Amino acid sequence: MMVLELDRVRRTRGVGPHAVEALRDVSLAVGGGEFVLLEGPSGAGKTTLLAVAAGLLRPTSGDVCLAGRRLPAMSLGECRRHRATRVGFVFQRSNLLPRLTVGENVVLMAVLGGMAREAAKRETTRMLEALGIATLADRYPHELSGGEEQRAAVARALVHGPAIVLADEPTGSLDGVSGRAVAESLGSLAAERGAAVLVATHDVRLRSFASRRVRIVDGRIADSEPDLG
Amino acid sequence: MAALIRKALSSRPARFWLTAGGIGVAALLVLVLGAAYRSVSSSVAAYVGQPGIDVWVAPGGVDNLMRSSAFLPAHLPESLATIRGVAAADPIVRAYVTVRDEADPSPAGHRLALIAIGYAAPTGGGGPPALVRGRAPLDSTDIALDRAAATRLGVTLGDTVWVNGRAAVVLGLTGGTNLLATQFLFANLSTVDGASGLRGRASFALVRCTPGVQPAALVGTIRARFPRLSVYPREEFIANNAREVAAGFIPLLTLVAVLGLLAATVLVALLVHAVVEERREDLAVLLALGADARALTGAVIREAVTLAAVGAMLGSAAGLVLRVVLDHVLPVIPLAFRVTDAARILLVFAAAGIGAAAIPVARLRRIDPLEAFRP
Repeated sequence: MMVLELDRVRRTRGVGPHAVEALRDVSLAVGGGEFVLLEGPSGAGKTTLLAVAAGLLRPTSGDVCLAGRRLPAMSLGECRRHRATRVGFVFQRSNLLPRLTVGENVVLMAVLGGMAREAAKRETTRMLEALGIATLADRYPHELSGGEEQRAAVARALVHGPAIVLADEPTGSLDGVSGRAVAESLGSLAAERGAAVLVATHDVRLRSFASRRVRIVDGRIADSEPDLG
Repeated sequence: MAALIRKALSSRPARFWLTAGGIGVAALLVLVLGAAYRSVSSSVAAYVGQPGIDVWVAPGGVDNLMRSSAFLPAHLPESLATIRGVAAADPIVRAYVTVRDEADPSPAGHRLALIAIGYAAPTGGGGPPALVRGRAPLDSTDIALDRAAATRLGVTLGDTVWVNGRAAVVLGLTGGTNLLATQFLFANLSTVDGASGLRGRASFALVRCTPGVQPAALVGTIRARFPRLSVYPREEFIANNAREVAAGFIPLLTLVAVLGLLAATVLVALLVHAVVEERREDLAVLLALGADARALTGAVIREAVTLAAVGAMLGSAAGLVLRVVLDHVLPVIPLAFRVTDAARILLVFAAAGIGAAAIPVARLRRIDPLEAFRP
């Protein structure tokens, strides 16, 4: 079953002679449990594609279907609620909220995703244990290493049981060992939960985790191929 | 969730408390001026509203104790006493006098301009409303002095002072007779007469009704008998004096209140705006994750209101402490706080907090969740 479907999506920034087409007739489908790498040079449109897929940007034309619902047909509020419950995010920097502990960061996402407070706490504990960082639950983000922060970000992305995790350069600021550990955790935990993963990255080391690679250049899908590592 | 969002967006504790302290000072300024006004107003009301005086008779056109320069005919109290329904009619003389400390009568020594009330001591109406220490005047050399005036002059019970150049002994200290800019002095009618050169004159006649007679009815009778005089039941005369005090205080009080509120609003706006700017990235992340912009707005407004309310409470607490300290150290500045003043300040400052959040909230509304994707 497809979790994300983009059908001939165009996205234009600016107007008139200054208009820039960030996405041009992009069609892409990602199934549940898939780990898809979105590769391409800087400025190719990878982040724009993630934002459109999440409903953070509206396509200028074309259609986006996320977890069975068409995003362009939704109001902003519906889109936000759908995103909160069905999408998980991992950013290049962890972007954990610095005034909250690791546990609170994860609980907050679970509650945003619609869980009751107690259930959110239980699920947070399970997720942090699965990632091997349960002992860090009461620490603040500035007390963690880069790898630990990104694993906490993975916990936040998956705690509410999203249909898809959208990751933007999740290993971009990590060394090789940490990056590999984060990618491995993200891939295995998402697969366990049947969630798809769409990763925009330059990091070729992630290819070994991918079930498919999609290359985007100048806002167009250049090629797409299975990658079994 | 709301609690977590509030925690995520809260300001740094040191900055919060410093700003709250600044707001507290603004609240304190407003409270102190308001309390000083209330104290003066209640002092005047305590004197003119004291029991045993049902009707005030004043020269024509005079409607308050504070500002009058006219005098009643010398025989008036005796004439009033003959009216049916009048139990007693006592004259008082109100004059400004200069009081000097005997120990240093030189021009450089302590001296004060006080409102002297001469009355038919010891039994006549119009004496001190409350004695803190000592006794009311009996002889022509006795005076009772407001407690704050005694402090300002550096005198106490038994000390001799000079009232318009005449020696007098301080035998009583009065309370509730401090008008901030000046204070009351009470003496025998003849003492004030002599000191002010108003022998045989009276500023007001204070009438007590016989039991069963309504003051309003007596006012009508006196007005009919003396149509050129001003005659007021006690309540009306109290209101006239309160209005007179308010006329001097309210414009200044309003100005200080507006400025204090403005200062508090700017402080709150500055801090909350700084919080939104500092937490811009976190706000973008929250919006990207799916947090409701209204919840974030609510958290920002709550932070602003909390800050303003905490500041107002700090100001109120400081005001209460200041009142106690001033009462012991500097009774010249009387402060009469009320719980309702603190509650009013709290409400107004909290409302100002909401207003102060307008700019930071507008800023928040312009944050793009895509900022979360910036490396």
